[in-house]
Amino acid sequence: MATVLRSRSAFARLFVGKTGQILNNLTDLGAKLAPGTQSVIRHYSNYISSPTIDTVNQDYNYEIFKKPPEWEYVQRLLPFETIPKVTPKDEYPSGWVPPKEEAVNHPYFIPRTKNGELPIYLEITHRGMRRVSKIRKLEGDLWLMNDDIRKFLKNKYNRFVMTRVHDFAKFIEVKGDHVNDLKQWALSKGF
Amino acid sequence: MGSKQVTEKALSMLKSLPRLSLANLRDNPGSKITQKRGRAQHGGDKHGAGNKGSGQRMNYMRLGYETGNNPFYLRMPVELTYYKGHHLRREYPPLSLHQLQSLIDKDRVDISKPIDLASIVKTGLYTFKPDQNQFGIHLTDEGADIFTAKVHIEIQWASEQVIATIEKNGGVITTAYYDPHSLFLLRNPKKFFEAGLAIPRRMIPPPDAIEYYTSAKFRGYLADPEKISKERVKLAQKYGYKLPQIEVDSNYEMLCVRKDPRQIFFGLEPGWVVNLKEESILKPKDEELLTFYAS
Repeated sequence: MATVLRSRSAFARLFVGKTGQILNNLTDLGAKLAPGTQSVIRHYSNYISSPTIDTVNQDYNYEIFKKPPEWEYVQRLLPFETIPKVTPKDEYPSGWVPPKEEAVNHPYFIPRTKNGELPIYLEITHRGMRRVSKIRKLEGDLWLMNDDIRKFLKNKYNRFVMTRVHDFAKFIEVKGDHVNDLKQWALSKGF
Repeated sequence: MGSKQVTEKALSMLKSLPRLSLANLRDNPGSKITQKRGRAQHGGDKHGAGNKGSGQRMNYMRLGYETGNNPFYLRMPVELTYYKGHHLRREYPPLSLHQLQSLIDKDRVDISKPIDLASIVKTGLYTFKPDQNQFGIHLTDEGADIFTAKVHIEIQWASEQVIATIEKNGGVITTAYYDPHSLFLLRNPKKFFEAGLAIPRRMIPPPDAIEYYTSAKFRGYLADPEKISKERVKLAQKYGYKLPQIEVDSNYEMLCVRKDPRQIFFGLEPGWVVNLKEESILKPKDEELLTFYAS
């Protein structure tokens, strides 16, 4: 096969003095432009006629600023080392409620998640046909809590709502979408 | 029994009955026939799932794909724009005002400083995937009634209602475009700083986004500031609230901070290199670099 002759920076020579026109701005990568006129046939289907780079300028002039005033902006961008604690406020417009101290006095306990929310979730299975509300991470007397939940839902809907206690994995499941009811009940207890 | 008696009886019955609600509504008996999944000769063939393929396997194909058929959106020359380019379009995943308020309530976002995409992603409660054609936050109006915070926020897409809500509380809102490369930097700035590279320039928006980001109506970052202040007054009149004066605000300086159209991070200019280990910033002095990074 015939060797392909590549003219170095042939394409770049066309743009001497008008570096702004080069799309990928080769001067940033250190390609030195030499004056000269040469007509180059560009083959846009391949890179054969593209200019090549032999040396990249690495010794640019710069200044080092140790702990400049702008460092505050860098610190602002760095991630939290731990999840920030919520400072007590007079009101929370979003409807979020912090846990109360009296919650410890119940024979059972629902701890908040790391994001400060109640661990009450809706599980949708069977292509949206089965909806089960689940309270997770429970502590204490689950069976007593189960009775209280059943009583609360019975009062609210005038009918029996099926629940299931998993004593080993520490969760209670309630049949149907009762997430908001359970959250309301848990908040009324102070969890 | 006369018809009068019947109606009276029905009315008295209605009085004693509980109120009609979703809890006691039900279909007429016998109006719904539930189909049974028959076995063997009692209808036990394919159960409506068809023969093989995605019907039986429950895998959901991408939008518009018809298992090798000529797709509907390509079949008729009239419907050319039906799904055209749906896999290439820019996505702006939503963040509601209610979510933003709860982030503020839980101290995940500091409202004493300008909020941008980086500070929302930093909370860890907003998933953002720039590799999946996502181009930033779409602030939605859900929870506009409860939103009370005064914020200086820069997001990528907002409706008129959202702009009105933020400005009613004395805040400032800007919509700004970021190219995918800078979105990766905003998602994880620490990872980028550790790489030891110079902060690049932000690219200008693509042709189809220029109109939005130069419009004062949507508070575009390329819009004329004077037109924006005019639009602020206009919107206040339209929604009927008194526009709080920013000039007399105690946080006036913070509310006036804007990024340069070529800038990615607040306070950090393109071309700078951040050294996290030695807590220093390398600023270029070379003329070649300065002209390149100047916008």
